Amino acid sequence: MDIYFLLELAVNGVLIGLMYTLVALGIVLIFKSSGIANLAQGALAMAGAYIAWALLTLAGVPLWIAVPLSLIAMFFIGAGIERVALRPMIGQPVIMVIMLTLGLEILLRGLVPAIFGSVVKRLDLGIPQAPVIIGPMLINTAYLVSGGVALGLVLLSMLFFGTRIGTVLRAVSDDQTASWSVGISVERAIGLSWGMAGVAAASGGILWGSVQGVDWTLSLLLLKALAVAILGGLDSIFGVLIAGMILGVLESVIPAYLDPYVGGGSRDVVASMVILLTVIFRPHGLFGREDIERV
Amino acid sequence: MTVLLALENIEVAYDRVFQAIKGVSLTVPEGGAVALLGANGAGKSTTLKTVSGLLKPERGEVTRGNILFQGQDIAALSAPQRVRLGIVQVLEGRRVFGHLTPAENLIAAASMHRSRQKVAELMEMVFAFFPRLGQRANAKAGYLSGGEQQMLAIGRALMTEPKLLMLDEPSLGLAPYLVDEIFGTISRINRERGMGVLLVEQNATAALEIVDHAYLIENGRVVMSGSAETLKANPDVQEFYLGGAGRVDYHAVKHYRRRKRWLA
Repeated sequence: MDIYFLLELAVNGVLIGLMYTLVALGIVLIFKSSGIANLAQGALAMAGAYIAWALLTLAGVPLWIAVPLSLIAMFFIGAGIERVALRPMIGQPVIMVIMLTLGLEILLRGLVPAIFGSVVKRLDLGIPQAPVIIGPMLINTAYLVSGGVALGLVLLSMLFFGTRIGTVLRAVSDDQTASWSVGISVERAIGLSWGMAGVAAASGGILWGSVQGVDWTLSLLLLKALAVAILGGLDSIFGVLIAGMILGVLESVIPAYLDPYVGGGSRDVVASMVILLTVIFRPHGLFGREDIERV
Repeated sequence: MTVLLALENIEVAYDRVFQAIKGVSLTVPEGGAVALLGANGAGKSTTLKTVSGLLKPERGEVTRGNILFQGQDIAALSAPQRVRLGIVQVLEGRRVFGHLTPAENLIAAASMHRSRQKVAELMEMVFAFFPRLGQRANAKAGYLSGGEQQMLAIGRALMTEPKLLMLDEPSLGLAPYLVDEIFGTISRINRERGMGVLLVEQNATAALEIVDHAYLIENGRVVMSGSAETLKANPDVQEFYLGGAGRVDYHAVKHYRRRKRWLA
């Protein structure tokens, strides 16, 4: 197999991985602010794509309004889930809350296709079909655009954490009681992180939905996002950025070599292997936060 | 002398079972400095949390009594709302945001102020009280020394522009010269900014130097109160809280334990 083929696989993998990063970003935001692993992230991505499709196709809203509108809607859906479902759970054991998010995932997987219909929908973002040709490599244009958008959004969220509101969110993730004691509204900060997680999930879902079509399988992004978040370290945005690209590359390179021997389908195993190996060998992930210990 | 804070016959229970304080009444005058003294588990911290509203995360509940701040009953307000009224508590064990820099710690505590100008002024004020924080403004707060962390915790509380500054054991685990420095600064904040101070301490010697009035708490009850001078002069307080000054000749030590007269 020649080097250019490998390179082409790797570049496309990186671009896909950036989309995974976007969905994983939501898991990280919520984990950072409240210490909860949000297992409803896949369904949020799917819901975002459905809403964009509904606005575009059913309501006939032009693309440049429909996409921002669905992101805004997902912000309020994310924050609303926190307000209605999670806030009453404060004080309950963490495992109960995680189970609740898993329940939400299952509920949304059934409910959203039930409302909009379960047939695969075409979500056209106006990205040209023809691949971009760089030297001997063919790069999928949709991947290139999506990867670029995803990278931009991830960098934007890193900048956000340097602002005043971002600093408050980091304070909440450090010590909730201390945040409370200096007048930070911890509940509102957690609500904000859920809203932002909704936006991140929806943008990932819309981009991926424009590539593979919109149906319930979009919520399977949860597995990829979880793998990325765990590998990156659950509380590091830089970590998910790197981990997303690693998973993307592994997912496109490994099957290319392995599939001929095992008869295909090894792609779907990669994410679960990444989760398993990370948890066994590096439980804090690649860039998980070290606990500060003064000697 | 107007009253800033008044606790009237407060009772607090944890988990609806364990009664931690059993009828505490105290007042802090506007601009005054008051100390709460007592041993471990006497109910000092619980009293502070009752005022700041931080009982809830520990499943504590006020079962009786009134908390009045500037004449207003604040029992129903959440902790962040009380901070906006001007009540702030510096938690025991400092609890700085370890992964943020000192400057970011201060910014995070100023979430109630809209204007950047105001935040910058407040930060300048904090750095003027604690010049050392200014020098280390860009290190992670988790790596500061214990004394610097305590200064940061106090500075962080000042960012909320309090009328009442409550401190829970600011001397905990600090070298004596640092205790002097920090208590000196607390006293300056009290005098120069006219800020009410409610200080919880086990180090009664240091605390009685900077307050006007003190309450002694045992087993959830106020057993003695009076001006700092009165308490310093009281033989029981000297014996049990100020390290029994004057008793140096160990051959002369009598073989009975002095009884606390207020328990009789």
